[in-house]
Amino acid sequence: MEKNKKTIAVIIGIVCIILVAVMFAQFRVVEETDITGIETAREEELQDMLSSFKTRYEEVEEKLIETEQKIQEYQEKLDSNEQASELLDEELRQTNLLVGKTNVEGQGVIITLRDNNEEIIEASDLRYLINELKLAGAEAISINNERILNMTEIVDIKVDDNNQYILVNENRIIGPYVVKAIGDQTYLSSALSLKNSGFIDSYTKMGKTVEMSLEKNVTILAYSGRKNQLQLRYAKEVKE
Amino acid sequence: MIILAIIIGCVIGAMIGMNIPTIPYTYSGYLAIAIIAALDSVFGAITSSLKKNFDLKIFLSGFFVNAILAMALTYLGQKLNVDIYLAAVVVFVGRMFNNLGIIRRYYVEKIADKKILAKVEEVMKQVNKDDTKN
Repeated sequence: MEKNKKTIAVIIGIVCIILVAVMFAQFRVVEETDITGIETAREEELQDMLSSFKTRYEEVEEKLIETEQKIQEYQEKLDSNEQASELLDEELRQTNLLVGKTNVEGQGVIITLRDNNEEIIEASDLRYLINELKLAGAEAISINNERILNMTEIVDIKVDDNNQYILVNENRIIGPYVVKAIGDQTYLSSALSLKNSGFIDSYTKMGKTVEMSLEKNVTILAYSGRKNQLQLRYAKEVKE
Repeated sequence: MIILAIIIGCVIGAMIGMNIPTIPYTYSGYLAIAIIAALDSVFGAITSSLKKNFDLKIFLSGFFVNAILAMALTYLGQKLNVDIYLAAVVVFVGRMFNNLGIIRRYYVEKIADKKILAKVEEVMKQVNKDDTKN
């Protein structure tokens, strides 16, 4: 009888351990899920939240589609802009080429003027030569690597009787003067070497040293002077 | 001795319950229904012991089988989308109240019986005193 009671007590104790352990575990679960809130919310509340989320999802999806359309529009615009900017780039390049902001190369002539014992080369000679070249259709001209622009000056600066130099693009240049010109070789050479009235003939008669050579590939450097010489300060565009 | 076993069991159980890792929330519903079933068994056992027909085998089988059955039914209910656990809660809690009522009545009657007995004894003593005086 005594033994029987003991086993009963032990078994009931074990049962108590199990029951109370499980109960406390559950208490803890409930306590912790209280903090998170959403997990302890009632099913109806969750359903409400779910439906509201669904409507919001639909709204957001609509917005997304709208925004995507807008993005596509912008993309198209951007593409057209890119085309426009490419055109502008091309134009800019052309203009730079024309103005003299880039290095250029092509067929042309190289004329070398040298001072000799009797005659010295003056700015007027160079001006005359350049005018002749322009008449013959030269597309780019440089004197001693000074690019000739429409605003380039070619003037004599006299320091004293025995000492003078030529100013081109506000830079002093001294002989020999190497004039490079890009253009149609035959036009340029024939224009310069006309019998009697041509530049070379008339100047050699005057006793000055002029040499001309035809080159397949003449390289003329870009304008390297002060940048603001390429800017117009007083001349304004007239709007039509 | 049994009371001592219960107290020790409760203390050890509480300590274990505080220290085991938390159960995921999805399973806590099953655990809750198992606890209700087990508590129902415990109250049933107290009632039967008051009635002097306590059987350890019946108590143990009821304790575990009811709990497992309740969990299984809850699981089935979740699969069928029917809240079967509500039926289990109603049955178990109803039986718990029933058993609690029986326990309450037993003790109330016991106290009332004691009072009546005391009164009867007093009256008897009075009668005896009177008898001795006369």
